[in-house]
Amino acid sequence: MIYAENLKKEFKKTIKQPGLAGSFKSLFNPKTEKITAVDDISFHVAKGEVMGFIGPNGAGKSTVIKMLTGILTPTSGQCTINGQIPQKNRKQYVKEIGVVFGQRTQLWWDLPLTETYSVLKEIYEVPEDRFKKRMDFLNEVLDLQPFIKSPVRTLSLGQRMRADIAASLLHSPKVLFLDEPTIGLDVVVKDNIRKAIAKINAEEQTTVILTTHDLSDIELLCKRIVMIDKGRNVFDGNLHDLKAKFGQMRELCFEAKSVDGLLQKLDYKAHFRVTDDDVVVNNNGCSVNVRFNSDLIPVADMLGYTLSQVSVNDINVKDADIEEIIRRLYKQEVDVNA
Amino acid sequence: MRKFLRMYKPFTRAGMLDAMTYRFNFICFLLGEVLSCFIMYFVWVAVFNSSNSDTFMGFSMVDMTVFLFITFLTSYLTYSDGAYAVGEEIRDGSIAMRMIKPVSFDMTFLFQEIGNKIMVIILVFVPIIAGVEIYRYIATGAVMFNVVNFLLFLVSVIIAYLISFYFNVCYGFMAFFLKNLWGSNILKEVVISFLSGAKIPLAFMPPLMQSILTFLPFASLSYTPVMIYMGMYDTTAILWSLALQIFWLFAFWGGSKLIWNAATKRLCVQGG
Amino acid sequence: MFANLRRMMKMHRIFIAQDLKRMMEYKIDFLTGAFSFLLGQAINIIFLAIIFSQIPTLIGWTFEEIVFIYGFSLLPKALDHLFCDNLWRVGYFIVDKGDFDKYLTRPINPLFSVIVELFQVDALGELIVGLLLIGSTIGQVSIHWSVLNVILFLIVLPFATLIYTGVKTITAAIAFWTKRSGHITHMFYMVNDFAKYPTNIYNSFIKTVITYIIPFAFTAFYPASYFLTGENPWFNIGGTVVISVVLFTVAVFVWNKGVSAYESAGS
Repeated sequence: MIYAENLKKEFKKTIKQPGLAGSFKSLFNPKTEKITAVDDISFHVAKGEVMGFIGPNGAGKSTVIKMLTGILTPTSGQCTINGQIPQKNRKQYVKEIGVVFGQRTQLWWDLPLTETYSVLKEIYEVPEDRFKKRMDFLNEVLDLQPFIKSPVRTLSLGQRMRADIAASLLHSPKVLFLDEPTIGLDVVVKDNIRKAIAKINAEEQTTVILTTHDLSDIELLCKRIVMIDKGRNVFDGNLHDLKAKFGQMRELCFEAKSVDGLLQKLDYKAHFRVTDDDVVVNNNGCSVNVRFNSDLIPVADMLGYTLSQVSVNDINVKDADIEEIIRRLYKQEVDVNA
Repeated sequence: MRKFLRMYKPFTRAGMLDAMTYRFNFICFLLGEVLSCFIMYFVWVAVFNSSNSDTFMGFSMVDMTVFLFITFLTSYLTYSDGAYAVGEEIRDGSIAMRMIKPVSFDMTFLFQEIGNKIMVIILVFVPIIAGVEIYRYIATGAVMFNVVNFLLFLVSVIIAYLISFYFNVCYGFMAFFLKNLWGSNILKEVVISFLSGAKIPLAFMPPLMQSILTFLPFASLSYTPVMIYMGMYDTTAILWSLALQIFWLFAFWGGSKLIWNAATKRLCVQGG
Repeated sequence: MFANLRRMMKMHRIFIAQDLKRMMEYKIDFLTGAFSFLLGQAINIIFLAIIFSQIPTLIGWTFEEIVFIYGFSLLPKALDHLFCDNLWRVGYFIVDKGDFDKYLTRPINPLFSVIVELFQVDALGELIVGLLLIGSTIGQVSIHWSVLNVILFLIVLPFATLIYTGVKTITAAIAFWTKRSGHITHMFYMVNDFAKYPTNIYNSFIKTVITYIIPFAFTAFYPASYFLTGENPWFNIGGTVVISVVLFTVAVFVWNKGVSAYESAGS
């Protein structure tokens, strides 16, 4: 379905020279430097698959999405989606895809939502009867009815995101690109949007590529994960493998009964003989938060040691978020370079 | 005084940096605007070619050219977009930042704009004055530059700028309360360009209209400094028109203070 | 092809209806703006009247003829302003902010997509003033409104409009390389003021520039002078058609080059 082969994208960036003389110089003789945003990325996504595309800020996720959607032309390498090359015959190609950029709307600011969909109906040449059926379906999945008459500028972020997703699905695309579709939304809205995406994927076999910073998005939606960093592919597999590769980070949270000598009593590093990378303790008064690598320190041992050292009111263990995995990834890079 | 200047220097610096950052845009805009001067120049050449007389209502071709370019220069120097800035800052609430600082609000706007004007002086003032004087020398064969008139012109332009500044501050408050910025801004530009004699020299108008318009504040914005530069006024007329300028400056300065007080009261009420 | 056109018209109608609705919402603001524009144009005409009070003709052109040329110059300007105003935004912020992305993910021409989004009702003032000025000269100037001339008038207008749109398209496309180009558009756009007066008042340098390089002279003076004098139809009318088509072809070429050089924003 989607093949990306050795994708590479370089940008030229003008270096600003300081001072009046400098800016005068750069007006006539601008100095540029080459920045490689994406470097040799390859992957394959099968039809009907939901792929999570993750990586730290500035890793090149958006650049890859923009190459896959035909907005940017790769410096070298190529991608084919459904047998088509996005940059060739762009107009034909984009009829088969839907794109949502979470950071900015693709809709017309002043147009009521109904009108927006009428315009898109013309743009994508959706026949009248199919359009009606499609709107009913999207209405049901994304619950657009409460705000369908309002102009886009008056919608809340969650409503806007639902409207944007509906807009991207109006022409029944075979592939859906979602760049941060849950950014800035509250938990309930996030959950609704995930359910909608899952439903559309299940009912229509839509292939979905999704970038996100939220590990729950990945856990609920993606069987497959591709992770990039500094423009390079660093991981390709499922969530379980990802956690295995970068360490199963967990978070232990508890409320100690007394703050006296709390941290002196809890010397995890010495007890388990691990480094700073594998255990991090933060506390705010009595409430303590310990992030640890459960590959090296079994959860049971962690609980046992903690309970033997301090008396606590409330204790629980949960999975650490994707940011933690990314942080660890960075650490690893640093170690490798050092 | 020294302390006063030190206090407001950062605002001037900010204004200058702003102008520096957008200097390329500024030059493009300038070139676009200066084109209209050249169009009018060619229109006047055609008018004088079509006429039997060497003067047009008392203006020679050289006078007309000087009028066009010095008017353009004066309107650039006295231009103030305080109206827009004040309106915007009240709307988005950032005017509060000016209110909590131990500086007076009008001075912060003023010094910020002065920073901008330094850029205008380098890019517009010097080339136009030099160009006009070279043109006058070539066209008449004599040095027409008059130091006294030039200095009086400078004084008059500075007063004109301050009138423009306080007029626009008043207007900005009014427009904000009227909630009608776009249309009324266009109206303001059109009315001022006519009443100030920038579009059509007041001398071309019927005598009654001419004397009314001379009294109104708008002539003080552009026509007065231009006439002084061109040496069209004698000593009495110069003193009289400078006095009138100072009168209008105080009028708008007082007006802006009154509206400012009313506006801050209203802001406090709105803020709860 | 025709089905395509019908789709686009349908789309365009939605935006036009929307912008007209917005105009009604901000009635007072719109009317103040329109009135100010009218006033500004009236002052320009008064200025011309003052000039003509002292001279019989301006190098052979009467007051009414100059008013006709002036009024004619407003029509293509208004039409471009009405339908293609969104091109300004390309150079001012659409490219700079990376908002151009969305036009590339749609299966229609991005240039058309940008243009169709905005119907600039402010331009109606220009259109009305232009028509009023031309109307006021009926009977005062020697134009023979034969069927042929009316047809030529209607044909030449869209081509003259295309000159405005072409200049704006080329200068807006510069933003694809430099991120921002609104000020460059402004600089070139201002040259249109030269078209309000007979071209023979300018020196040969300016005349060449506004005829062949930034061909605004074809938006007003050349076609208008054909209607006033009946002279040189091939140059005055034919030239407008040829020059505008050439310019717009170049504009589309530059635009397309720019789109492929477009680098979006951020990472």
